[in-house]
Amino acid sequence: MLVFRTYFKILTKYKGIVILYTVILLCFAVFNMQTSDNSTNFTASRPDVYVENKDEEGALAGLLCDYIKEHAEVKGPEDLKDTEGVSDALFYRQVNYTVEIPENFSEDFLAGERPDIVVRSIGDYQAAYMEMQLERFLQTASLYQKAGMEEKQLIKQIKETLKETVEVELKSSVDKEGLSKGAFFYNFANYSLLAGCVYAIAVALSSFRRDCIRRRANVSPINNLRYNLQLLLANGVFAFALWAFYVLISFVMVKDVMFTKQGLLFIANSFVFALCALSVGFLIGNLTTNKEALGGIINVVALGSSFLCGAFVPVQWLPDAVLKIAHILPSYWYIQNNERIAKLETVEPAAIKPLLVNGAVVLGFAALFVAVTNVLAKRGRQRRV
Amino acid sequence: MKNVIEVRNLTKAYKELRAVDDLSFEVHEGEILGLLGPNGSGKSTTINCLLSLLQFESGHIRIFGKEMTPDAYDLKAQIGVVFQDVAVFEELTVYDNIDYFCGLYIGDKNTRKAYVRDAIALTGLEEFVKFYPKQLSGGLLRRLNIACGIAHKPKLIFLDEPTVAVDPQSRNNILDGIRILREQGATIVYTTHYMEEVEILCDRIIILDKGRVIASGTNEELKELTDIEEKVTVEVDRISQEQLAQIKALEHVKEVTNSKNVVSIVYREGEDHFGKLLAFLGKEKIRYHKIYSERPTLNDVFLELTGKELRD
Repeated sequence: MLVFRTYFKILTKYKGIVILYTVILLCFAVFNMQTSDNSTNFTASRPDVYVENKDEEGALAGLLCDYIKEHAEVKGPEDLKDTEGVSDALFYRQVNYTVEIPENFSEDFLAGERPDIVVRSIGDYQAAYMEMQLERFLQTASLYQKAGMEEKQLIKQIKETLKETVEVELKSSVDKEGLSKGAFFYNFANYSLLAGCVYAIAVALSSFRRDCIRRRANVSPINNLRYNLQLLLANGVFAFALWAFYVLISFVMVKDVMFTKQGLLFIANSFVFALCALSVGFLIGNLTTNKEALGGIINVVALGSSFLCGAFVPVQWLPDAVLKIAHILPSYWYIQNNERIAKLETVEPAAIKPLLVNGAVVLGFAALFVAVTNVLAKRGRQRRV
Repeated sequence: MKNVIEVRNLTKAYKELRAVDDLSFEVHEGEILGLLGPNGSGKSTTINCLLSLLQFESGHIRIFGKEMTPDAYDLKAQIGVVFQDVAVFEELTVYDNIDYFCGLYIGDKNTRKAYVRDAIALTGLEEFVKFYPKQLSGGLLRRLNIACGIAHKPKLIFLDEPTVAVDPQSRNNILDGIRILREQGATIVYTTHYMEEVEILCDRIIILDKGRVIASGTNEELKELTDIEEKVTVEVDRISQEQLAQIKALEHVKEVTNSKNVVSIVYREGEDHFGKLLAFLGKEKIRYHKIYSERPTLNDVFLELTGKELRD
């Protein structure tokens, strides 16, 4: 395994650049963790309600006013002084809802009548909410009135009943925010994997591919096939190690996600992409033996495709024209998969199918790059002979 | 005498150009054979054909009695090659480079370690084992190139212009190393266009031109191919055309040339040319600063055979 060992000796000379790409990945990942909004709370907004109570003496009317106050910002006539009445207040959205309690409301209600409460609404969701609360109050009051309760007891029962609340807890099996962070990490890993693989593999290969070095190997008793297989194995081991290291980092950065089925999909998707990055490294390693040119090539390949395909900015922010161009790059299909995984509620065959299709496209690119590399290598050999 | 290499009717062409043209020669066991010729004479092409790095149109090559083919790994294991271009890894130290190229031939770690140490000693690189190629001078780089090619102690060594662009100290070191390799039993094929190196180093010489052997033999045998006996060069204050004509008329003088008062006189045969010339200079009262005599060189042989100089 002389060639294999020498490959890694050569690679250690270039470890600084690979470390740099990893540090960039870590910096971006940490930056993302700190800037993300972790809040999952919400604050309910209260509707603005104009209440006109024409039954000021009535206890039930008073209770209704108190109940509305609990659930809304109550406005009185003094609040509407800049407008020409309730209609204007509704039109200018100063209030969402108006309630007019008629005279003798309490007395009539206890007598079994159902006096009309005049309401007006702007029809938004806050008005609907207020409508719901009003309905709840009247139904409760009606229930106890029909039971034949006296005013005092009726008021007490209504108060107790309306005090009762039901706690509703919304539960989701998926941590959407964590998945989004996982997708961000693996999207950015597109750049680090691609740049790392292309640079390291291309520089190491270019050393072995120099004509004079190749000639020395050709005049030695080492079998050509064995020589190439050792190089292939070394490249594969490097790409695998780099991928495994980035997966390990993801377990540190977004560990909650990585122990889910979606985390497994992120890992599988990045593995497929690492194979493709390996093939790109092979191709570029065969295109040039000029190490100085590699920096420029990496900028074009890794940085260019990462920008075009949405590794650094969300895909939805990219113009359609850019996304259309991105279709011809493997990074696009890899990033699309990460985005899909981040949105998966459940991991089931139907949901995985599009992921498999995208993964197959990435593998197709890898096969294409390997084929082109073989053609170029064959031509190079013929030219040398 | 046992032949290590036998080449018969070897022809290699690049489209219309015949780089090697019906070439036949042998290399005997234990000798240093010099392949001498100007640039483009077919030396490197011949070596590349011998090593199966190039396909050739026709002919046969046998090394150690076996047909040489690209997959003749048993033969390749006994051959060492030092290419004209320095072929080392820039990313590896001197030691690691020698160890790697030796490792292509020698699997056993301990044997390899000993061989690498010997190669370092032979090429005088002891002080530079931890250096990277970029840190070495041109001469040291050439020595490293040689160490990488011979570390596995091959029986047959091809040295393709190993002293191109090196300082005199490194050149002497390289030539001494080659002599030691021969003493250790190696057969060496040495290509160069430096005739002085061939003269002092090689047991036999083959002179190539346009892919063909134009002469072969020992140094002395080749020099007998020319009728030049001696060359005398005089640096004078001034000399007239008439005096030059008088020199030309002296006995055994073949040719007289004058370039900026440096007069070269070529003698065909005879004896005591030096004394006779000094007498003439004294008689004509021609003042001179320097006068020296030379035996004919391989360049003179080449000139005689082809009408052009080796370094044309």
